[in-house]
Amino acid sequence: MGAPARDVLAVELVGAGPPPERRLARHAGRHVLIVPALAVLIVFFVLPYLNLTLISLMTPSHQAPYARVLTLGNYATLLRDPFTWRVIWHTLWIGVATTAICLVISYPLAYHLARAPRRLRGLLMILVISPLLVGVLIRTYGWMILLQDTGLINQTLRALHLPAAPLMYNDTGVLIGLVHVFVPFMVLSIAGTIQTIDPELEFAARSLGAGAWRTFRRVVFPLSLPGVLAGTVLVWVLTISSYVIPSLLGGFTVLTVPILVVRTVTELFNWPGGSAFAILFFVITLAVVGLYVRAMGHAGRLPDQGDDR
Amino acid sequence: MIRPRERRWMAVAVAVLYVFLLAPIAIVVLAALNSGAYLRFPPEGLSLRWFVAFAESRSFTSSLRFSLKLAALATAASTVVGTMASVWIVRFSGRWRNAFRVLFVAPLAVPGILTGIALLIFFYAVGWGNTGFVGLVIGHTLICTPYVFLITSAGLLRFDRTLEEAARNLGAGALRTFWRITLPLIKGGIISGAVFAFVASYDEFNISLLLSGVGMTPLPIQLFDYLRFSFDPTAAVAGTISIGMAFVVVLVTQKLVGLDALYLGGG
Repeated sequence: MGAPARDVLAVELVGAGPPPERRLARHAGRHVLIVPALAVLIVFFVLPYLNLTLISLMTPSHQAPYARVLTLGNYATLLRDPFTWRVIWHTLWIGVATTAICLVISYPLAYHLARAPRRLRGLLMILVISPLLVGVLIRTYGWMILLQDTGLINQTLRALHLPAAPLMYNDTGVLIGLVHVFVPFMVLSIAGTIQTIDPELEFAARSLGAGAWRTFRRVVFPLSLPGVLAGTVLVWVLTISSYVIPSLLGGFTVLTVPILVVRTVTELFNWPGGSAFAILFFVITLAVVGLYVRAMGHAGRLPDQGDDR
Repeated sequence: MIRPRERRWMAVAVAVLYVFLLAPIAIVVLAALNSGAYLRFPPEGLSLRWFVAFAESRSFTSSLRFSLKLAALATAASTVVGTMASVWIVRFSGRWRNAFRVLFVAPLAVPGILTGIALLIFFYAVGWGNTGFVGLVIGHTLICTPYVFLITSAGLLRFDRTLEEAARNLGAGALRTFWRITLPLIKGGIISGAVFAFVASYDEFNISLLLSGVGMTPLPIQLFDYLRFSFDPTAAVAGTISIGMAFVVVLVTQKLVGLDALYLGGG
């Protein structure tokens, strides 16, 4: 950026700059700032992930967590197992459903938040962010109180002489919990872009005769696509990798990839198998996100004319 | 541009959605204060008996203490590391800025449970199989640093650099300028970054699930084991404490840097 140049300029203007060799030392000294963060990231983040990839190529063993013999067998076993694919498919599906519901719920919230008067916006921000700061476990517990067979919702249904609904230990419960946890992420992503859209554009569309729905479809929504893109990717990735919610609200009936990976590593002590599953899922996730971002990029760039006159 | 009738519908829809967002949290607080073992409507009455049960439960109090200790250490480490990194990125990173930003936020973007597994296996592979507490602190620091980094960066970006130049021109050295001018002005960002980091560590589940060992059970892990087999409101007391902390954090952040700093997309 222009900052160092401005420093030099300031120094020259005052005419009291350090001699060149000291200035050089100062420039090198600055970079000490980044050393601790970089060290932590490389040693405890990059290396462990590289190691995970390496372990996924080792042979499982009964005497030790793994034997130092390279093999592709872990991947072959996974790819051949129809059970693996069922779990992967189910996880991806839960991700898509959660993301879609989150998008529908979050859009009005985000729009309302972005267009709220300044004072109210502070309060609404507090309401949106607070759930994010309450641990996932606590929020899931709140849902357990509400959704279990003897929970508040089923008590109410019974009091009204309606049949009880199985809301927990199945996909319904998992979806409710996931949507609730990830709505704030979607709201924050979308509200950020809506705030950059000039309200005059909507006013112009309305005064030229477009209805509320058409203004939304042709003006607001297309302009907010970057936020929608960021939000959907974020929520989808967070959903398919979440562990607590599917295991508590799904009980033993809902199996997702993270649950299976943790079980393989901590209960079966099959580290190579678990690592291979983790890496495989990582690659699938990246591929899906890549395809989606490209597709959305195309949709955003096409001159949007056609069905709507 | 919204007309009055549309605005009313919008307000109703938005209100319903806020109720959805806040209901499970309110329910936890209600359950903690309810005198019965099950929450019913109408509630059976107010009571602090679950708070007493919580205070008398050795497993809960010891894991609460353990969590606070762990969060304090992780906060200290991540605040120092994260603040230094954000100063560097905002001021000196030049054309590498975006690459480094992505790298520093990466621990939040990858699945936490995978990071936990990767760390577990890595510690074993390098012969630190029994790192125990140190391993937990390292894992938590890894997760907390991006929060500190994001929030202090937001504070730094709003910082008026001419103030520093003025100090330098008036004869203050680099270090003195930093202590007397820069630090007091970005203090708010650092404090709310630290507070955020504390809560992130206090609530962290994924890393702890894989790295916690015998005698080292952070509160979320204790709660998880508990909730798998029981719905007893003692857990709600732990939840209420966590909710109280969350509100403090939100208020501090809003006051010191403004929650707008947390917009994820767009600007």
